[in-house]
Amino acid sequence: MIEEKTKKRVPVKRWIVIALVIAGIYAAFIGPSILKPISPVVVLPGEPTGLAIGGFQITNTILATLIADVLLLLLGIGAARFHASGKKVPSGIYNAFEAIVEFLWNSVVGAAGKWARRIFPVVATIFLLIFMANMIKLVPGFESIGKLKEVHEGTGFAPVELFKIGSLSVFTIDKGQPHEAEEHAAEGEAAAAEGGEGHSAEASTEICTACEVVPFLRGSATDLNFPFALAFIAVLMTQVYGVWAQGLGYFEKFFPVRQLVRGGPFGAINFAVGLLEVVLEFAKILSFGFRLFGNIFAGALLLSIVGALTAVVVPAGLYIFEVFFGIIQAYVFFLLATMFISGALVSHHSSEEHH
Amino acid sequence: MNDPVAFVAGMKLLGAGLAMLGAIGAGVGVGIAASGGVQAMGRNPDATPTIQTNMILGMAFAEAVAIYALAVALIIIFAA
Repeated sequence: MIEEKTKKRVPVKRWIVIALVIAGIYAAFIGPSILKPISPVVVLPGEPTGLAIGGFQITNTILATLIADVLLLLLGIGAARFHASGKKVPSGIYNAFEAIVEFLWNSVVGAAGKWARRIFPVVATIFLLIFMANMIKLVPGFESIGKLKEVHEGTGFAPVELFKIGSLSVFTIDKGQPHEAEEHAAEGEAAAAEGGEGHSAEASTEICTACEVVPFLRGSATDLNFPFALAFIAVLMTQVYGVWAQGLGYFEKFFPVRQLVRGGPFGAINFAVGLLEVVLEFAKILSFGFRLFGNIFAGALLLSIVGALTAVVVPAGLYIFEVFFGIIQAYVFFLLATMFISGALVSHHSSEEHH
Repeated sequence: MNDPVAFVAGMKLLGAGLAMLGAIGAGVGVGIAASGGVQAMGRNPDATPTIQTNMILGMAFAEAVAIYALAVALIIIFAA
């Protein structure tokens, strides 16, 4: 694309990279302890950000999901406007968007055939949302900018004032000054309560002595609610498409009453197998939910631990790994949903008779 | 044993480590799936899209076991 530019390039980027690496080494190993990289807090439930609609607390994971939603909507509106403008060849980000959508479309067509047009909106939306949520989770500032909070267990760190913007003072926490929590501290869980590099936006409320950072934004999939909601939607839509394609006969799969009445002993066995199918539907929700959650949460955990151990080159490689995993997990979720839905479209019963 | 809190904390970590033994099977399974997929693609490159889809599907199912183990380990460490 940029052939002319590459010929007369000045090696400026490599110097920037080297300067950044040196700055990273300085901050991590040599410099004052405020600059030390700090692992983010690892907790299972999303923490409330303080915002609320009515009585409904908005947690940081919800906020991140909303941002992903808004970005997707903007992308969708942009793509629609682009389509309306009549240009045939998309450029820039729409080119990538088109490639993704085309790839998804081909996958769905391969799995579901003529039902692809009806299935595509559901599964593609799931893919795009997970993809977007996994990608914006890696933006710097996620999981590291937030409010300071007193630690109740384990070790917190002393806050240090960095600068003031108007009446807002911005703090970071000093890794060189660990403070045990006031209350009873279980030593084994000290790692769970370590703080992230935090910038408190609180004006002049009381400042904690042993602090951790409650981030404003955290990756959506690190909260169990996000993957489980999507899993629930996927499995529910499986039933919906099953009924759409086969009518009420779809439920023969779960409760083969006719076989129980007519089939004799094997009918009874088939009925029991049908009941197992019901359990299987719930197992699908669990498996969907835990797969996404486990991968993304483990990724966040890995980044925080490795970032605290070796702060300089290794986390960059892991970030690439995380990008890859974000895409793969979104694709796996999408693929499994497509497979389950297209499996529900064909009759269980008739396919058995073909054997 | 003199400090019950430390003992429980240590046992939690030990239990989480033992829970992750489940990843062995998943690792073997994912490896077998990838090996079979690559062999199949080598023999029949034209069928690559189908094989790839099914391979990733199988790997996802095999990997699910490791994820369950991981979820159990995380729950032991952070929730229980």
